[in-house]
Amino acid sequence: MADRNVTTEPDPDRTLGRRELLTKWVPPLAAGVLLGGAGLALHGREGRHRPPDTRAIAVPPDWRVDPSASGRLATAGGQGPEANLRRALAALGGIEAFVRAGERVAIKPNCGWDRAPEQAANTNPELIAELVRLCLAAGAAKVTVVDSTCHDPERTFNRSGIAAAARAAGADVLHQGTAGTVLLDLDGSELGPWEVLQPIVEADRLINVPIVKHHSLARATVAMKNWIGAVVGRRNSMHQRLPQVTAELGAAFRPTLTVVDATRVMVDGGPTGGSLDLVRALDQVAVTTDQVAADAWGASLLGVAPRELPHLQIAARLGLGNVDWSSLRVEA
Amino acid sequence: MAQPKPGGGGWKRWRVRTRHWRVLSQSLFLLAFVALFWGLASTLFHGKLASILLALDPLTAVGTALAEWTIPHWAWLGLAVLALTAVLGRFFCGWLCPLGTLQHLVSSLGGPSRRARVEANRYRPWFALKYLVLTVLLTWAALGSEHLGWLDPIPLLHRAFAAGIRPLWHGGLMPAGWVSCGLLAAILLLSAWMPRFYCRALCPLGALLGLFARLAPLRIRRDDDSCTGCKLCLMPCQGADEPLGEHRVSECHVCLNCLAGCGEDSLRYGLAAPGQAVTTPALDVGRRRFLLSVVATAAIAPVLRVSGSGLAARSYDAIRPPGALAEDAFLARCITCGACVASCPPGAIVSDIGRSGVEGLFTPVLVMRRGWCEPSCTRCGEVCPTGAITTLDPKAKQAIGGPAEVTIGTAFLDRGRCLPWAMDTPCIVCEEMCPTSPKAIWLDRVETTRKDGAKVVLQRPCIRPELCTGCGLCENRCPVGEQAAIRVSSVGETRDPANALLQRRNARV
Repeated sequence: MADRNVTTEPDPDRTLGRRELLTKWVPPLAAGVLLGGAGLALHGREGRHRPPDTRAIAVPPDWRVDPSASGRLATAGGQGPEANLRRALAALGGIEAFVRAGERVAIKPNCGWDRAPEQAANTNPELIAELVRLCLAAGAAKVTVVDSTCHDPERTFNRSGIAAAARAAGADVLHQGTAGTVLLDLDGSELGPWEVLQPIVEADRLINVPIVKHHSLARATVAMKNWIGAVVGRRNSMHQRLPQVTAELGAAFRPTLTVVDATRVMVDGGPTGGSLDLVRALDQVAVTTDQVAADAWGASLLGVAPRELPHLQIAARLGLGNVDWSSLRVEA
Repeated sequence: MAQPKPGGGGWKRWRVRTRHWRVLSQSLFLLAFVALFWGLASTLFHGKLASILLALDPLTAVGTALAEWTIPHWAWLGLAVLALTAVLGRFFCGWLCPLGTLQHLVSSLGGPSRRARVEANRYRPWFALKYLVLTVLLTWAALGSEHLGWLDPIPLLHRAFAAGIRPLWHGGLMPAGWVSCGLLAAILLLSAWMPRFYCRALCPLGALLGLFARLAPLRIRRDDDSCTGCKLCLMPCQGADEPLGEHRVSECHVCLNCLAGCGEDSLRYGLAAPGQAVTTPALDVGRRRFLLSVVATAAIAPVLRVSGSGLAARSYDAIRPPGALAEDAFLARCITCGACVASCPPGAIVSDIGRSGVEGLFTPVLVMRRGWCEPSCTRCGEVCPTGAITTLDPKAKQAIGGPAEVTIGTAFLDRGRCLPWAMDTPCIVCEEMCPTSPKAIWLDRVETTRKDGAKVVLQRPCIRPELCTGCGLCENRCPVGEQAAIRVSSVGETRDPANALLQRRNARV
C-alpha cells in the first residue's frame, strides 16, 4: 500500500517514513472506529422517547387495621361536627384503635369545588381539623390532607376552608399541583394503571372523609366515589361506566376508616351545587370501617335506597362490605 | 495501476477520464433516485429498499442518533459514507448527491460564462453559513426536535417529488408540495447565478461532510513549482475550494474538474508528497459565533415545541399514519422525506402545513377527503426509513371480529349535515363503506313523515366508537360535499394513550 502510493509521487527519491504515514492515516481511521462504535452501540435501539412502562407496577396497599374484622358503624348528631366526630369515634374504640404512635396518616376529604362551607360541596373544614387534631394526639408522626380538585386547587382548598383549618390543626395540605404521583395498577376490569397521589400511597393509615351529596349521574355520592380524587389523569372517561368504576375504586382503596360528613347535605344540583336552597343542615357524622355501609347510610339521608344505586350491588358482589348499614351499627 | 509520469500520456488520460467516471456516477445516482421514487410510488419496490437513498444520507443517521438515541434500519449506511468521507473528502457531494447533480446540470447549461466563472467560483467567507445551519439543526435534534429534513438535500428533494411533482398527476396537489418545490426551484435558480450555491453556502449535509473531509489524507495537491497561477482550474471548480490558493478541503466536492482543467499538470488528487506540509485552513466560523448559535437555538427550541398544536395540545385533524410512534418519538425520528406520502395507495397521506404545529411542518398527516387508510395496507410503515412509522401486521388495523389493535382516530357524525338525520333523505353510504366486522357504523331505522306529507323510512347512521379504526372511508365517500357529514378526528388513536376516547382497562398500555 505504502509502496504503491509512493510510486505515484512526483518525487520518487524520497520514501514515506512510517511516522509520516501514521500521522496521515490516524485521523480518518479514528473517525472510522468512532463511527463504527456509534453504529454498533446505537443501531436498532428502541429510542429514548418510550411509552411509560406499565407492566411491573404495584397494586395499592391495604390501609385497614384488621382486614378480617367485620365492619362497624357509629353515628352521632346534633352537637356540631367536632363533638359528633368525637362521640361516634369513641363508640368504635377511639382514634387510638386506628392510628398508632409514629404512623403517617393521609386524610382524603372531598375538596373538589371552589365553594364555601355553607354551600356543602366540600367536606366540612371543622370536621377535618378535629380529625387532624385527634390523629396528632394519638401520636401520628405526620398528618397530610390531600385531594385532587376539579376547580383550581389553590382556590378550592382556600375557599373550602379546608387549607386554613387543616394547617391550623397541624396538618400538611397538598393537592395535585404540589404532591407527586405514583403509577399503581388499580387492578379492575375497567381500571388499569393510574397515577395515584403520592401522600396517599406513602401513608401508613388512610382516612376517607367524604361529604354526602346529590350527584347528577350517581344520584348519591358518598365514600367510594370520593376516591376519584385520589387519582389524577383522564378522570373524565370514568363516567362512561361509573357504577363499575366506583366499585373498583372501592376495591382498590381500602381505608383505615371512613368518616362521613352530613353536617350540611346538598340534596339537589350536585355535585357542584351553589345555591343555599339546595342545602339541608342535618348535623350528623358517621364513622365506619365499612365503606359500602358508609355509602348506604349516606344515600339513606338523601332518601335513596341501596338497591337504587348500581355501584352498591357491584360492591357487594365484590365482597367490599355490607349494604345493610343498620346491622353494623354500634351505639354511640 | 500503471505508473503515470507527470505530463505523460497515461496520467493525463486518467485525469481526463476521472471526470467521465464522475459524470457516470452522478447520472446513475440521479437515475437511481428517480427510479427508486417511481418504484416506491408505484408500489413496485417494497420495504426499506424503496427508501435506501434516504438511509445512505449521513444526516439521517446523525439526526436520529441525536434526537432519538438510535440508528434505525439501514441508516448505518450513512455512517459508512461519513467514514469514507474522512478518507476521500466530500465525494458524496460531487459524485452521489442528486440535488448536487441537478444544480451541476443547471449551472453547466445556464450558469455564468466561462470567464465569469473564475469570479463565481471564488471562495467567500460567508460560505461558512452552512456550518451554522448545521449547528442550529443538530442542536434542535439533540433536544429531541428533529428538523434536519427541512434542509437536508436528500429528504428535501424526495419531499419535492412526493408532495409536489407526483401529485401533479396522482392524488391532487397539496400546499406543502408547492413550498417544497418552491425551495427546490429557488435552489436550482440560484445555481444558475452561482454554481452549487446551496451546496457551498447552506447545505447542512455538505457542512457535516465538510467537517469529516478535513481529516481526509486524499485531497487535491498542487505542485507549486510548475503552477503558473493561470486560474484555469477555477473555471470548472464546483466547491469553490480554491485549488489555486490554500486548498480548502472542507469545501471541495472531489469533482476533480480542476485536474483536467490545469494546463500545466500541476494538480493531482492523492496523498501528500513525503515531507510536504499538510495544512487545513480553519473554518470561517468563530468560536463565539458557534456558541451563540447553540445557545440561541436551544432557547428557541421550546418555543418551537409549544407553537401551534405540536405536543402541547393535540390537534383533532392531525391524524398520523397507522403505526406511527407516539408524537414525541415520532417527531424525533421523522425526517419529512415524504416516502410515506408517495407510498400511500389511496393518497390519503399529505405532507403537513399547519395541522401539527410548527414542529410538525412537512410531517405526514392523513386527509380523508383525499383518500383513506386502506385496512390491509401497511406500506407507509414499510418504506419509512427511520421507523417513525413502524411496520404493522396487516391484521392489526382491520378490526375483523372485534376491535382493532391499532387505530388512527375515530369517526364522528355531524347530525346537522347528515342526510337521513337532518334532511329526511335516505342515505347509507358511510355504513355501507365501513370495512370493520362487525361494522362500526350501524343504522337506526325510523319511519317519519316529510313536510310534503310523504311517508319515508330512514336509516340513520350511528357510530360504535370501540369498533372504529379511524380509516376514514366513511368520510371519503360521504356525499355531503366539501365538509363531510361524518369526519374522522385523531381522538382514540392507539399510539397516544392520553388521546384515548373510551374508558378501557389498561388504557395506558
